[in-house]
Parts: sequence; structure tokens; C-alpha cells
Amino acid sequence: MKAEYINSFYKATKEVFKLMVGIDPQKKDLRVIEDMVSSKDASVVLGVTGDLRGTILFGFPKDMTLEMIRIMSGMEMDRIDSFASSALGEVANIISGNAMTLLAQNNYACDIVPPQIFIGEYKSFTMAGERALQLILTTPIGEFDINISLKEKQV
Amino acid sequence: MWKDKYSIGIELIDEQHKELFKRVSDFLRTVESKDNWEDKLEKVKETMAFMQEYVIVHFDDEEAYQEQIGYPEIENHKIAHLKFKDGINDYVRIFEEEGFNEEKIQEFGGKLMAWLIMHVGKMDQMIGEYAKSKGGEA
Repeated sequence: MKAEYINSFYKATKEVFKLMVGIDPQKKDLRVIEDMVSSKDASVVLGVTGDLRGTILFGFPKDMTLEMIRIMSGMEMDRIDSFASSALGEVANIISGNAMTLLAQNNYACDIVPPQIFIGEYKSFTMAGERALQLILTTPIGEFDINISLKEKQV
Repeated sequence: MWKDKYSIGIELIDEQHKELFKRVSDFLRTVESKDNWEDKLEKVKETMAFMQEYVIVHFDDEEAYQEQIGYPEIENHKIAHLKFKDGINDYVRIFEEEGFNEEKIQEFGGKLMAWLIMHVGKMDQMIGEYAKSKGGEA
């Protein structure tokens, strides 16, 4: 997997976070993982089609999710309901859409499949024999990760 | 929900944005309140009707302003407005077909909030910047 895939998501995440929640996430770690599993409280999974194919998985802890919702909506919440999960899914969707725009500048034409959101469900999204890259990001309101498994379309 | 950083420096548009944010914020508070569902439903229906109408008025005004200042990105902006309206209309259709159910309304509320913040916080800022560069009101 190439660095520009990761960089597109990193840049898009920083931009959207700054704009929507006023926070600039920092890269903490980047590592290869064998299994792409939703292990955080809230997970958003998006499919990628086109020149690159694969899956993107965002994982957020509960407290961070609720703090993001508080910053955006001004409302204090104590659980991730359909409103909060939908807003979180849309943030991840916007980030991914912006990442696709950045990838298009590198001549990869891709589209995203609308997000699926899982709250408190731990599932595996690994495709057989595919490794993924996990980007861990820190913010003052918590740590989250973006797992990226993308493959160039066979010509 | 409204934050000063969302201002673009053009009074008419900023006032309309504030109204939109206020309505969406009231809507979300209603949807998320512990009131019983029957009481909430009235407010939900009212907001849906308002959003459908006001979003069109606001987008038309904003597009007219862009035309007036010769904003070069107007066509892209119109596409974004269309997508925003489509997003609302998709839910209007769902509610017409399936009735108003609480989970779908919460889902709609989450998306509406994200779309509004992103649109006003990013795309609309560029109108303000352009107007400023041309020595306009902003």
C-alpha cells in the first residue's frame, strides 16, 4: 500500500476535524495490522470502489464521540444514539469524500460507498490475505484510529 | 450550535445562516429531548416543512449574491446546493413512505447537522473570501 493513500486520509481528517470540531489531530503511530477489527465503541466502515478498492474503518471511543457531538451540536449526551452515530458516520463520510478528492489529484479515480455504523459491535472486516494499515491519531479529547485496506484494481 | 467562525461577513447571508442553525439546533433539542414522542412529532413535522422551504429561499438568495459579485465557483456551489436539497428530500420521501419514526428522524438530524456545518463552515467561507478580495462588503 502506498504512502499517498494514507496521506490523503491524514490530510482530509485534519482538515475536516479542524473545521467541524475545532481540533487538529496529530499522527501518533502508523502500523501494519493483520486483522481489521472494529475494537472501539463506535466504528464507521466505508467501502472504496474504482481505481482503488477496499475498506476504510474509523474507530472512535465513546467519550470522544460524545465530546465531538457536544462541540458540534452544543448538546451534552450520555450515550451514542442514532443521532450521534449518524453525525459521526457523516463526519467519517465527509473525511473519506475529501480523501477521494485528494487521491483524484494523484490520478486515482475512486468513489466511496455510504458508511455503515456499528456501535458496541466488534466485527472483523478483514479480506482474506489482506493486510491493513492503521493510523492512530491523538487529540485533546481522545485517541482514534483509521484503518485502511486499499488495493489497486488489476488491469 | 452557531459559532462566530461560521460568519462569512455578508450580512444577509450570515443572518440566514444563523436562522438555519437556530432551527436545526431547536430541532435537534426536540428530537433528543425526553418528551413523549407525540409531543415531539409536531415539532419534527414543522421543522421538516420549514427546512424544505427555507433552504430553497436561502440557496436562491445565496446564488443570486454569487451571481451579483461574479463568483467564479458558482457552478460548483450550485451543485453542492442541489446535493444538500437532495439529501433533505431523500428523508422527506422516507418519512412520507414509512411514516415518522424516531430512529430515522435522529439519523436525519445527525446528517443535517454535519451537512450544515460543513457547507457553511467550508464552501460558504470561500464566497466571503472572494467578496473580500474584490473589496466587497466582507
